[in-house]
Amino acid sequence: MANTPPPVEITTVRKSVLSGASFIWIIPLLALVVAFGVAWQSYAARGPVIIVKFTDGAGISAGETKLKYRDIEVGEVEEVGFGEGLEQVEVHIRLHKDIAPYVDASSVFWIVQPEVTAQGVSGLSTVLSGVYIEGSWDSEIGFAASTFKGSDVAPLIQPGESGLQIAFRSTANGSLTDNAPIMFRGIQVGQVGRAQISRSGAYAITEGLIYEEHRNLISSSTRFWDTSGFSFSVGPSGAEIDFSSLATLVGGGITFDTFVSGGDPAKDGEIFEVFEDKETARNSLFTSSEVDPLRVSVIFDENISGLAVGAPVELSGFRIGTVESLSGIVDFNQFGDSRVRLNVVLSIQPARLGLPGDVSAAAALSLLQDRVANGLRARLASASLLTGGLKVEMVEVPDAAPARLSATGVDMPVMPTTKSETSDAAATVEGVFTRINNLPIEELLNSAINVMNSAELLMSNDDLQKVPADVSTLLSDLSGIVTSDDVKNIPIALNATLTRVEGLVAELEKQRIAETLGKTLTAAADAAEAVTSSVEGVPELITDIQTVASKAASLEFDVLIQELTSLTSSAEALVSSPETAQLPVALSGALDQLNATLRELREGGAVENVNQTLASARNAADSIAVSSRDLPQVINRLNALFVQAGRTIEGYNRGDELSRSVEATLRDIQQAAGALEKLARTIERNPNSLLLGR
Amino acid sequence: MTAREAGLVACTRCGRAWPLGTADCGRCGARLVSRDKNSLQRVWALWIVGLMCYFPANMYPMLLTRQLFSVDESTIIGGAVDLAHHGAYGIAAIILVASVVIPLGKFWAIAFLAVSVRQERGFASHRRLLMYEVVEYIGRWSMIDIFVVAILSALVQLKGLATITPGPAAFFFALSVIFTMLSAQAFDPRMIWDAQPNDNEASDNG
Repeated sequence: MANTPPPVEITTVRKSVLSGASFIWIIPLLALVVAFGVAWQSYAARGPVIIVKFTDGAGISAGETKLKYRDIEVGEVEEVGFGEGLEQVEVHIRLHKDIAPYVDASSVFWIVQPEVTAQGVSGLSTVLSGVYIEGSWDSEIGFAASTFKGSDVAPLIQPGESGLQIAFRSTANGSLTDNAPIMFRGIQVGQVGRAQISRSGAYAITEGLIYEEHRNLISSSTRFWDTSGFSFSVGPSGAEIDFSSLATLVGGGITFDTFVSGGDPAKDGEIFEVFEDKETARNSLFTSSEVDPLRVSVIFDENISGLAVGAPVELSGFRIGTVESLSGIVDFNQFGDSRVRLNVVLSIQPARLGLPGDVSAAAALSLLQDRVANGLRARLASASLLTGGLKVEMVEVPDAAPARLSATGVDMPVMPTTKSETSDAAATVEGVFTRINNLPIEELLNSAINVMNSAELLMSNDDLQKVPADVSTLLSDLSGIVTSDDVKNIPIALNATLTRVEGLVAELEKQRIAETLGKTLTAAADAAEAVTSSVEGVPELITDIQTVASKAASLEFDVLIQELTSLTSSAEALVSSPETAQLPVALSGALDQLNATLRELREGGAVENVNQTLASARNAADSIAVSSRDLPQVINRLNALFVQAGRTIEGYNRGDELSRSVEATLRDIQQAAGALEKLARTIERNPNSLLLGR
Repeated sequence: MTAREAGLVACTRCGRAWPLGTADCGRCGARLVSRDKNSLQRVWALWIVGLMCYFPANMYPMLLTRQLFSVDESTIIGGAVDLAHHGAYGIAAIILVASVVIPLGKFWAIAFLAVSVRQERGFASHRRLLMYEVVEYIGRWSMIDIFVVAILSALVQLKGLATITPGPAAFFFALSVIFTMLSAQAFDPRMIWDAQPNDNEASDNG
C-alpha cells in the first residue's frame, strides 16, 4: 500500500455555467417566452380609446357595454365617468384596432335602448342584453378625433342607408311629428327625423330622408301634407271618417304627391313645406307664385291686439304678402328685459315687389336690405277702422336710427320696426266722431222746420193767389206798349241808323281797314306780352288763393253751421216779411207793362227798313271781302304771337297749378285763334256772313 | 448512515437494494441512480413555471357565468368574496383553502425543502420528509377547483338562460397545479439525509 501512485497534477476544469444545467430549464424559458409573446400581442392588438360624452349613462357599464357598428361589436366600454362639473357622462371606449381609423371626426354615437313608439318597438334585443352604444361612420378615413359628443337620438340615416336628404318645414297650421313615416300610396318611402322648433319659434323644422330607390318620386313641384289624425265629414253621401293608416293615426305621418308635371328633380338639402291637408297642398301649387316666399320676422315691442294670421303686409299701400304666423317671444339676452314681445313672421311674395330680372327670395331679401338701410321700417297700422283689425305696413322713416336687415345663419332675417300708427288713427277717428256729436244739428232742424212753416204761410197768402191775374194784365199792358205809336216808330229810326252804318262801312272801305286791323293786332300782341308779364303774378295769386282756401278749410265747422243757421233765420224773416208778400203784386204790374210794349212793337213797320239795311250791308261786305285779302298775313302774325306767348308760358311752368291754369289759358287763346282763322276763312268764302251774322 | 455510504443503491420503484454502480434494477428494470444530480434544478425550474402560472390564474376570471341579463366574470378570490358576502362562509373557506392556501403552501414547502437540503442545520430531517410526503399527497387535491369548473361548465349549458364557461384562469390554474406537482416529484427526498451531519443516531430510513 506504500507505493501510492505519484500525485497527478490535477487541473480543475472551469465548469461552464450551462454545463451542469439540466434541459429542464427550457420549460420556464418557454413559459417566459409565451408569456411575453401573449403580453406583447395583446398590447399590440389594442385599439385606441375614444371618449364619447352623453347627457346620461342610460345603463352603460364599464367592461360590459359594447360599441357596435352595423350590429357588430367593434369596441367595449372601459370606463364610465363624469366630465368636469358633473355635466356630462364620459364613456371611454376601447376600439378594435382594425376599425379605429374609420372612426373619424364625422362619427356619430348614440345609445340603443328599448323604445316603444307609435311606429313600433325598437331595440328589443337590448331588453335582455343590456344597452349598447351604436356608432355610425362612413367608409372613408377622415380627420382623426378622440372625443365625441354622443347624440341623444339615433341619426336618421343609419349606416348602410342612403337616400335623398331633404328638410321639412311646418306651415302656419301644419304640424310635424318626430320620426313620422313618409308614405306614398301606402308604402313607406322615407322617414322624418327629430323635429325641432326654429329659434324664433315661428315654425318647426326637421330633416327627412327619402330612401334611395324612391328618390325619383320627389321633384321641386312635389307637395307634402300631413296625414296624421283623421278627418270627419258629414255630407250628402253620409258621414265619412278618413285616415290613412292606424300607424299614422296614432303616430302621425306625411305623404306627398306631384300634382303637376315638370319641376326639377329634388336635390339634397332642399326644403319642403308640410301643409295641413291635401287641398291646401294642392292649392299652394296654384295660388303661390313659382318662387318661394321670403320670410321675414318682425318683433314688435307693443302688444296690440288685432293682428291676425293672414293680415296683409303692405309696402307703400301695395299688398306684398301676408302675416304667416304670430307668437310671443321672451328673450332676456336679446332685449334686456323679460317682457313678452310680439313676433310676427311675414311671408313676402318676391313677385309682388316688381323685381327686375331674377325673381327669387334672395333677390327680394337684398332689395329689402337696401331699403331698410335707407330707412324702411315695419309698423303696425290700422287696416279697418270699424273692426280694429291691424295690418303690417312698411314705411320709410326719414331719420330712422340706422338698422340692418341681417340674414345670418339659419334664422329668419329680422326687420327693424318703428312706432305703430294705430293709436293715432283711433284718436283722430274718435275726435271726428266727438265733433260730429257736438254739432247743433237739432237747432238746424228746428230752423229748417220754421222756414218750411213760413213758406207755407207765404204760399197760402191771398196776395200770392192773385199773381196769375196780375200777370195776365201785365201781358196785356205789354201788348199795349208794342202796339203804341212810339214802338211803331222804332223801325224808322232803325232804318236811319242802318243807313248811317252803310255810310260808315263805305268809309271803312276807303280807309283800308285791313291796315288798321294790322295795327290793332300789333297792339294786341303788345297787350298779350303784357298779359304774359302779368302772368308772373299768377303764382302769388294762387298762393293767396291757397291760403284763402286753407283759411276756409280751417274755418270752424260749427261757426259755419251757426252762420248758416242765422242765415236761414234771416231768410225766414225775409220770407215772412210783408214786403215779400207784396212782391207778387209788383211782379204782375211789371208784366202788364211788358205786354203793352210788345203789342206796340208788333204794330211797327220795322221789317222793311231792316231789309234795306241788309242790302246796304251786303255792299259793305263786298268791300270788306276786298280788304280781307290781307287777313292771312294778319293771322300769321297772330300765330307768331301765340307761339311767343306759349314759350313764355312754358317758362312759367313751375307749379302744377300755375301750369295748369296757363295751359288752360293757352288752350283758350289757341281756340280763339282757331276761331279767328275759321272766321277769316268764312269771310273769305262768304263775305256776306260778316253782315248777316251767319 | 445512508445507503450510499453503505455502498448500496435502492431501486426507487421496487425498493430492492443493489450494490453501488449497478446501472439497472435486475428485478424491475428501472434505472438506478444513487442521487439524482439534476433533481434540484428540475425542482426549481418547474417551481418557477408553476409560480408564473399562478399569477394569471388569480388575475383572470375563473368562471364566465352568462345569465339572462348579464355576464358575470369572477376570479378565484373574487368568487370566494362574493360567496362570503352571500353568507356561504363554508364554501368560501373551502375555495380559499383549496385554491389559495394550499397552492401557496406548496410553493413555500417545496422552496423550503429545496433550500434546506443544502443546509446542515434547520428542521429535523424527519419533519422535512413528512412535509415532503404531505406536499406530494395533497398536491393533487388542488385540482378540485378545476374539477368544479369542468363539471359546472359541462352541466350549466342552458342556452340563453344561463351558461357557464371556464375562464382563462382555469387553464393557468391547472398548469400551475401540474407544474407544482411535477416540481414536488422532481425532488429527490434522499437528499434530505445527505445534508444531515454525520451522526449515527440518525435513522436509516433511506
